[in-house]
Amino acid sequence: MAFTNPNVFDKYTDAKTLEKIVDYASVAKMWQKSVEQYPNNLALSCERQLTYAQLDLEVALFRTVLVQSGVKKGDNVGILAPNSIEFVKAFLAVTTLGAVAVLLPAHLDQHTVYGCSLKFSLKSLIVSPALNSSVEFLSKQRPDFNIINAEQRADNSTPAAEVEGGAPCTVIFTGGTTGRSKGALLSNQAVMRGVKNGCYGYKEVFEQRYLLVLPLTHVFGLIRNLLTAFYTGSALHICRNPKDMFKEIAIFKPTILVLVPALAELALNLSKQFGKNMLGNDVKYVICGAAMVAPYLVKEYLNFGILLFPGYGLTESSNLVSGNPEAVNKPSSVGLIYPGMEYTVVDGELWLKGINMMDCYVGEPEENAIAYQDGWFKTGDLVKIDEEGFLYITGRKKEIIVLPSGENISPAEIENYFYEIDCIQDCLVYDSIENGASVLTIEVLPRLAVLKAKGIENADEYIKEEVQRVNKNLPSFMKINKIIIRTTDFIRSPSMKIVRNQNGTNKK
Amino acid sequence: MALTRNEIIEKLKEVIQLALGDKANIEEYTENSNLITDLGLNSVGILYIVIAIEEFFSIEFDDVGFGDFQTVKDVIDYIYNKVNA
Repeated sequence: MAFTNPNVFDKYTDAKTLEKIVDYASVAKMWQKSVEQYPNNLALSCERQLTYAQLDLEVALFRTVLVQSGVKKGDNVGILAPNSIEFVKAFLAVTTLGAVAVLLPAHLDQHTVYGCSLKFSLKSLIVSPALNSSVEFLSKQRPDFNIINAEQRADNSTPAAEVEGGAPCTVIFTGGTTGRSKGALLSNQAVMRGVKNGCYGYKEVFEQRYLLVLPLTHVFGLIRNLLTAFYTGSALHICRNPKDMFKEIAIFKPTILVLVPALAELALNLSKQFGKNMLGNDVKYVICGAAMVAPYLVKEYLNFGILLFPGYGLTESSNLVSGNPEAVNKPSSVGLIYPGMEYTVVDGELWLKGINMMDCYVGEPEENAIAYQDGWFKTGDLVKIDEEGFLYITGRKKEIIVLPSGENISPAEIENYFYEIDCIQDCLVYDSIENGASVLTIEVLPRLAVLKAKGIENADEYIKEEVQRVNKNLPSFMKINKIIIRTTDFIRSPSMKIVRNQNGTNKK
Repeated sequence: MALTRNEIIEKLKEVIQLALGDKANIEEYTENSNLITDLGLNSVGILYIVIAIEEFFSIEFDDVGFGDFQTVKDVIDYIYNKVNA
């Protein structure tokens, strides 16, 4: 049976605000309206500040750069840049031209960037000069490939295109339910529905001050932080280095923060350690999601006079699936499912349909076949829903690790790095909680024949050194914290595959 | 503010203890302990330590990034050179 929640959020917002929460077919349409409505509001702040009108002009000039480079409506255009004004400008220019912004995480190595250029049929790639080394291999392999400098300028502007709601808007990386990295294609109407949902459930919605610390290549950063800020005529301060977050909060004085639970907890612990509210006196709301939110955070934040709203979302659903306007009363819930979405629960698993859902995983027919059934997207999350419609996440079917920092990592992908070590026969990566902290663990089954042939005397020490060697070169969020060397085999399926949910901490 | 190596170690212990939580026994570790694989710090734990060190020692980390530090000793040396520069 399918359910919907058409007006459940209305009572949490006043009628005047509700009237302003309207539908826009595309990012282009929304941006045009916001520039018309709030031309002199501050839009972006980073190393410089830009009003909506000033940013619009820079976007229009960058559209010219794109058109002169041969970018056309419907083209897949990659963006490889750290969080910056250039990233935002590139995203708006690409999407308002009716092209598709394929967002490449800034940590990708040069071989993966090259692979993405093929996999996503990129026509062009906009690159921040800071990441030029990440495109060296691509330039060598495909000398004719169109690489556009994100800082390039043109002298004249190019108008935005008419973009329909069904037109593709962006491709965002996700581990999905199987844990293998892939790109979810989101249409303009899907993205805009996700943006609109970010306006429900609290009182002070428009003309706020947001601070961005999450990556813009993640839906939570892109949709709930950047685009909801633009939809509401709010200002967004880009904090380029998370270590400077609290210094910049003190200067910019944000009213709404969008944080993963690990950062919300970090702010709390620092506040306790230094005996002062590190978030300052202006923050009213903390939107918290992308990983499990510990209920005690809601209570602790209330002591600072801040409402922390736990929520739940997926890349495949243009971020928001549910948000919790009753967090104080129901802190362990991830809230009510947003309007415009149909949902059902099958064998405990949440299935979704709706305008905000992705079109598909790009170029992944097998992954798409696994992800859908009878037109429903199977989230891989196990849930329960109480009598008032509040959603609780109770477990996970999918093979993916969601770190408290919101980073989605595929254990299989990390394991692949370690399979290059010849004395490792098999390995398993999982996340365990020790002393309340998340510890990324690898269990290794040694290949005894290789160790013997090499004449290794202290096998454990040798394997640990080898694992450390590989670990050193991994991005920080993928680094293994704990190494366990097994003396017995893993529990395996009849086909000899390691059964993830019967090994490691997933053991049932 | 000039500090001796021992003063730095004492303050750093306090910071690391808070990053690791109450249940961790800070005395188990040595200067040669690896931050990631021995202390078990994840990216957020390291971020906590960086922010707390900056606040405690009134220093600013350069763009070197904390990823360049392998052991507790590397951090002590870095702080020592910064505060005694």
